[in-house]
Amino acid sequence: MAADPQAPPGHEEILPEYYEEDRLVLLPRNPYSLYAYWEISPSTRNRIVESWGEANWCRSSPVLRICKHHPSHRKTIESHLDIDLDPDANNWYITVESADRFYHAELGRRRPGGTFFSLLSSNLVCTPRDSISHQVDENWQLPDWKSRKLIRRIAVYHLSSPELIRRLPGQK
Amino acid sequence: MPRGFLALILHAHLPYVKHPEHQYSLEEKWFYEAITECYIPLLQVMERLQEEGVEFRLTFSLSPTLLAMMENQFLQERFSRYLQRLQYLARLEEERTAGDPDFNPLACLYRKEFDSIADYFHRRYHRRLVPAFQRLAEKGCLEIIVTASTHGYLPLLEVQPESVYAQIANAVYYYAELFGEPPRGLWLPECAYNHGLEMVLNDLGIQYFITATHGVLYASPRPKYGVYSPILTPGGVAAFGRDPESSKQVWSSREGYPGDYCYREFYRDIAYDLPLEYIGPHLHPPGMRTDSGIKYYRITGDSLAHKEPYRPQEAREKAAEHAGNFMFNREQQVKYLSGLMSRPPLVVAPYDTELFGHWWFEGPRWLEALCRKIAHEQDQIKLITPGDYLDLGYPLQLSSPSPSSWGDKGYHEVWLNGSNDWLYRHLHRAAIDMVELATRYREAEGLLAEALTQASRELMLAQSSDWPFIMTTKTMVEYALKRVTTHLLNFRNLNKQIRNGQINRSWLKKISEENDLFPHLDYRLYQDLETTVPREHNLCPR
Repeated sequence: MAADPQAPPGHEEILPEYYEEDRLVLLPRNPYSLYAYWEISPSTRNRIVESWGEANWCRSSPVLRICKHHPSHRKTIESHLDIDLDPDANNWYITVESADRFYHAELGRRRPGGTFFSLLSSNLVCTPRDSISHQVDENWQLPDWKSRKLIRRIAVYHLSSPELIRRLPGQK
Repeated sequence: MPRGFLALILHAHLPYVKHPEHQYSLEEKWFYEAITECYIPLLQVMERLQEEGVEFRLTFSLSPTLLAMMENQFLQERFSRYLQRLQYLARLEEERTAGDPDFNPLACLYRKEFDSIADYFHRRYHRRLVPAFQRLAEKGCLEIIVTASTHGYLPLLEVQPESVYAQIANAVYYYAELFGEPPRGLWLPECAYNHGLEMVLNDLGIQYFITATHGVLYASPRPKYGVYSPILTPGGVAAFGRDPESSKQVWSSREGYPGDYCYREFYRDIAYDLPLEYIGPHLHPPGMRTDSGIKYYRITGDSLAHKEPYRPQEAREKAAEHAGNFMFNREQQVKYLSGLMSRPPLVVAPYDTELFGHWWFEGPRWLEALCRKIAHEQDQIKLITPGDYLDLGYPLQLSSPSPSSWGDKGYHEVWLNGSNDWLYRHLHRAAIDMVELATRYREAEGLLAEALTQASRELMLAQSSDWPFIMTTKTMVEYALKRVTTHLLNFRNLNKQIRNGQINRSWLKKISEENDLFPHLDYRLYQDLETTVPREHNLCPR
């Protein structure tokens, strides 16, 4: 892109490749596909390398763990799937087995011996439904627009959205 | 009482495009073509029906970016010049085709059409189309709803809920500024729904939204009446699902009406047929072979090579016939459905407005014929808006819609795939920064407030669903890349200047003039949801 001649000194002209932050984000694509992108900042990486030792770090390998949450006990992880990553990857498309289920991801390293060490945790997402619901309970209600009050946004938002659920006190 | 209802919903949206730095902008032309071929012809149809006392009710979704362009004086002036050039070309064409029994009547038709558009734009509404829509709403013909501020693809922005809140809250405020009252309904951009969005809508006094067919069909618990009655979502907002049958008849390029051989061929424009020495100076930009809007052929058949001259009368008759067929099918549909339901079924038929007149030249005529026929030739169905349907007072089934969109394959892949996935890293990072800024500078004034407001504008402009869509469809990709990168960089530089306390006044002025939509945008909409002290909104829900 051409430089902006009117731009002040210190003006950025290209988007950075990385933001020097620790971040793992999971996004839903369809009932059976998720997308994750991530970044581990150099300082975090260095800290771990320092504590593990260079040789141990080199013997570990990057893994993306996709955790499926229990349908009724949402805090419980029902099962997980480990994906071996290319060392330079910073994003991944993930095929999952269940529609209409909550998932979150952990980015970590598999250490020699097979133990998984988590470095980053993602937001929670719900895969869309792919078929007609089996739940047939009928509950009918008249919308009551008139008596409805403006509801405080914090109180309201914490009811449902996966991201907001994650932000509830005591959740991660 | 009719047996059932039909809600025709036209969603009108274009990304915010304004390029004073170019004398002719190909992308601004999207807007000029849409006014000439869709918005004004549709307004004229609706006014004609209203003046003749034909009873009809339609729903129009007008996107805030489109409204902002309609209100922009620079674009109004440029459109006026574009139209003058088009009128001049049509006159030249009348002379050039003089004596030709096939083409001269068509040239004459275009000349009259452009003159009529010019008269409508300049004399009747003094360049402002928003009051034209408002007038029809006041006359009881239209329910106008809104969509997210810059048509952000909400399920993929939700990682920062403040982004979603600001996209919707600003849209509601901007709508209220223009129309004097808040909207009842909101068109989710690309019909893209994810759990929790209704909470934000509820908070902002929105009573309903529209989803793709499976948004309601796959809702849970299972909706007893499928998409033929709205459901009440956990947030207390109603969701209306799109009827697949009526959509397909109009949309489908194979089975749909617009592909009929009688109709005008979109892809055969005089810009490509006539010598460049003649047509070149009148094109936009001059000398570049891009559509002029003057097209003389009918679809004719499957062959791309063989096309025959367009016959307007035949096409008009076909549009009326198709309107009759559409109405007949809806009558049969509600007759069948009403036997299964304890309330009159509602068929929700939403379309992109730009289909009517631009892609499907006869679309406005079809709509006019349909409204007339429904008013005068039957008593089974009645046109209604989603808001009116809610006013009928039927209890709604409590159910949670399924995440979905009206894009290819029905979910989010069109806006999240290998061509555009890189974008979300930057959009989300900018949103985090914006939330931090708005939370840190809660009551900014003067230059700081201006910089924060412009930062919000740049972020919103970068969030338009149009950019990832264009990257997927691989049309005008360079433009989409340039736009999204420019807005993100503007945002990043503002963010840096604000944090360093070194706001560059002249540069801020420059970008504020370039990207000047939503004059009263409140950057505080981005304040952190977790720490914001709850505050009352200015707008009261009905």
